[in-house]
Amino acid sequence: MSELSYQSPLAGVAEPQGLSISIREIDERGMIDLRGLTSDAGFMAAVKGVIGVGLPVKPRTSASWGDVKVLWLSTDQWLILSSRARAHELLSQLRDALQGYHSLAVDVSDMRAIIRLEGDGCREVIMKGTSLDLLDPEYVQGCCRRMRYAEIAALLDVVEDNVFDIYVFRSFAHYTWNFLCATAKAPAKLKLFGAQEVPA
Amino acid sequence: MLAVKCPVCGAEGDETDFHAGGQAHIRRPATHDPAHVTDEEQRNYLFIRINPKGLHFERWRCDRGCGKWFHAARDTVTMEFKAFYGVTELPPADVIAQAKGQWAEYFANRLTSESKA
Repeated sequence: MSELSYQSPLAGVAEPQGLSISIREIDERGMIDLRGLTSDAGFMAAVKGVIGVGLPVKPRTSASWGDVKVLWLSTDQWLILSSRARAHELLSQLRDALQGYHSLAVDVSDMRAIIRLEGDGCREVIMKGTSLDLLDPEYVQGCCRRMRYAEIAALLDVVEDNVFDIYVFRSFAHYTWNFLCATAKAPAKLKLFGAQEVPA
Repeated sequence: MLAVKCPVCGAEGDETDFHAGGQAHIRRPATHDPAHVTDEEQRNYLFIRINPKGLHFERWRCDRGCGKWFHAARDTVTMEFKAFYGVTELPPADVIAQAKGQWAEYFANRLTSESKA
């Protein structure tokens, strides 16, 4: 019998060279998919008791407490982020607290791949693959939303002003990685305002 | 390009961020009266659709947002959306008033049957 062990979807990809921003995979993150009704005060309080922060109710926002972060996915769905090691414990605590409430909590840590983009010009790079206007004041720290990115479904989390996490389903990890490496090449850097630098 | 806005989460985008789900307000006859469903009713439910020139009522899904279904009133000539409303709701009264032909008939029947119930 072979042991089941987690392997990162992007294990072994070559370090990208000559990019205008930094791109790396985040593989140590645990993810829990949570569903429930915001109208159920008992459910909201029970979740807050476990994760330490109230579930974000406003569309396209996130909330965090310590090393736990919650992303709003829908009016009745959230993604709870923690360290991979803590996800299991968090899930059993949630299930205990949510007994008797109409809700669902599932560990989906292996479902998505996460790619982190860092640096000046991240927004321009992401905008090459999506119809979102990331220069809109809505896209500041604490904003997250699902989007259509390079024709596939993705989740965007604005971590800081120039730090973005892109979540895609695991089977799209290589596709997204290659798309990002191609669009983030230094000579392909876009300047949205002012004169465009012409590569030599 | 269509400019769509989800009434559930407020996400705005073009039609590639949403999914068109065909004609709205189709009711399955067996749900309401399972014992007396005629072949004609079942055929109409499965296959017969309204294809108007002008104001039309459709189902849409907020595919790259909250994932919820909703209804939209759209003009098929100008591509302009007149209203977005919940998936269990009827259109706003002022939009119903603009409906013509089969849609006007539909809403008239629906409103009378609901006022009786």
